[in-house]
Amino acid sequence: MTGMIQVCYLYPDLLNLYGDRGNVLAFTARCRWRDLPVFIHQIRPGENVDFKEMDFLFLGGGSDREQGLMAEDLKSRTGELGDAIEEGLVVLAICGGYQLLGNYYLTGDGKVIPGLGLMNFYTQAGEKRMIGNVAVEIDLDGKKYKLAGFENHAGKTYLNNVAPLGRVLSGYGNNGEDGLEGARYKNVFCSYLHGPLLPKNPELTDYLISAALKRRGLPHLLEPLDDSLEAFAKEAILRRMRVN
Amino acid sequence: MRKVFLDVKLKRCCYLMLRISAAIIMAKTANWLSRLFRKGKGSSLPGVVALRICPEILEKLAGQTKLGTIMVSGTNGKTTTNNMLAGILSSSGYRVVVNSIGANLIGGVTAAFIEKATLGGKVDCDYACLEVDEAFFPVISKKIKPGIVIVTNFFRDQLDRYGELDKTIKFVEDALKMIPEPKLVLNADDPLVAKIQINSGLPAFFYGLGENTGLSEKGGFRVREARFCPLCGERLSYSYYHYGQLGNFQCNKCGFHRPSGKVEACEAAASDGNFSFIIHYPGGSVPVNLPLGGLYNIYNALAAFSAGFLLERDPLKMSVYLKSYRPATGRMEEFNCPDKKVVLNLVKNPTGFGEGLTYLLSSAGPLDVLIAINDQAADGRDISWLWDVDFEMLEQIHGRINIFVCTGLRAQEMGVRLKYAGVPAEKIIVEPGYSNAVRRIMAGAAQHTYLLATYTALWPVEKELRKYVT
Repeated sequence: MTGMIQVCYLYPDLLNLYGDRGNVLAFTARCRWRDLPVFIHQIRPGENVDFKEMDFLFLGGGSDREQGLMAEDLKSRTGELGDAIEEGLVVLAICGGYQLLGNYYLTGDGKVIPGLGLMNFYTQAGEKRMIGNVAVEIDLDGKKYKLAGFENHAGKTYLNNVAPLGRVLSGYGNNGEDGLEGARYKNVFCSYLHGPLLPKNPELTDYLISAALKRRGLPHLLEPLDDSLEAFAKEAILRRMRVN
Repeated sequence: MRKVFLDVKLKRCCYLMLRISAAIIMAKTANWLSRLFRKGKGSSLPGVVALRICPEILEKLAGQTKLGTIMVSGTNGKTTTNNMLAGILSSSGYRVVVNSIGANLIGGVTAAFIEKATLGGKVDCDYACLEVDEAFFPVISKKIKPGIVIVTNFFRDQLDRYGELDKTIKFVEDALKMIPEPKLVLNADDPLVAKIQINSGLPAFFYGLGENTGLSEKGGFRVREARFCPLCGERLSYSYYHYGQLGNFQCNKCGFHRPSGKVEACEAAASDGNFSFIIHYPGGSVPVNLPLGGLYNIYNALAAFSAGFLLERDPLKMSVYLKSYRPATGRMEEFNCPDKKVVLNLVKNPTGFGEGLTYLLSSAGPLDVLIAINDQAADGRDISWLWDVDFEMLEQIHGRINIFVCTGLRAQEMGVRLKYAGVPAEKIIVEPGYSNAVRRIMAGAAQHTYLLATYTALWPVEKELRKYVT
């Protein structure tokens, strides 16, 4: 292929809770193992980035204070990010990053913290923190896969007019009520799953890589890799949740 | 009327004494039974049993401590610091209650007192040295008022239990405000610990490690909790750092900076898994030889030395004691093995794990490495933190590591982590069962075998290891 795959890792200093940088590691490694060169842009608040030039954008979550700093910076870029998303930018947003893409976050004392409003859902503070292993069934181009991860969130997310990422097999998911997990719009994939999500779920990782190549008009059929270790790890935790 | 009232009081008193005795008897029996069946070594079970029978037992037993209680809290180094301090005090002839095996929740603390209690509920001790889990510090410090509180450091640890690090620190700060006149012994090099002095307004005795060109880190990717000023949010600047966020920090916005230490280690040098350094204290200095690897053990020694200093222990005698210090199970514990060097180390968070890996980098010759990862409550249910450990640094020594054996409940996950860190697949062996895993690592060809285990994996790994070493 010509050129490099441009990976945009937003605010790596602020948003590195729960090993989420593993998502960037997995995406990058699986490209490089196929001889697809990758360049990682680590973007800090205030630094310039042209989202349309990016192929994959990762947005994680942080603790409250750090999340506030990230929201402030990202708001000044909402227009550009929105345009890039409409035009097919591949995005993975986890936990706090996921919540931020929605309309708003309603806190326990009734305060509304506006989100970027790029996707049609909202989040409200729950009374109980939703913590534990989670299994989700997703559909990628008509094929069903199981995802495994770990969730740890107090916010309950409700989707208005946007598709979920998948259905909860075990655990809480978006809100512990409607059996849905995450959200999906164009090439944007949102989820509460830490673990981190991509290393143990290589089918999803490859789907993201493939979508990024497709958007650039490049051959997007990926050479298969030996994923026995990943499958073994996923199987072990799915078995414990009795959903294998 | 008065007589009846007295009667009731007397009855209540007798009833409480009876319950205390019953609790102690049951607890000691539970301890004996669990040892008989070789269940958990270092268990908090006796304490849990006793608290069930008599909820006020901890206050009643701990209240008999004659000279004072010292509590050690923070993320890493609690066990070693606490054991060093208890050793300093008992080598001076004091009788000390200590939860020396790292059982640091309320059950473990209670169990430490029960071990020293008579069946009638009498505890004859001068000092209590207690390591206390950060999240349990408020509860325990309410029941036992510590005279001295040591805070070692704050790193990310088992987030699923606490929510976030900021909250954990706030727990500790709030609890300190409830203690009458505690003396704080704080790590000057950790901004998250140093800020406790400012937020609590309490006087503090700081300890720290001076700049060292040979041992301090110079750069690269490392986990740093407090890259931002914990007081105003500005990015901190460092003139040097030792590991994690520990170092000489300064906030250029609000002026928050590393406080100068009352106790400072200088001229630290490492050789063959030992450290030598000089401790400067108010009024003098003393050379120390520490028979332990890992830069963090200098901090543990400094913390114990500082508390000993406040308790008027002789610095020279403390230095002599530290030279003979023997680590507790799995704290860089070395085993006797005829044909190889075998070291077992506990890992529980990215920073501690990173320090353990740094030790590997500093070793010479071929290595066999075993990593045991569990995800039970005491380990932290969420193992995402493995992805914050800088396994990528091992790339420099892939050539000299023969095999990585991954074991424990999340052995497979550990294998995936190594794979994505660039470890060649043929070197990764996933063997969930401890017995087979330890057999494979002990059959390895290297002269140096290094085993890392999370909390609940530590005992079973050690038990298997004992079949091969003494």
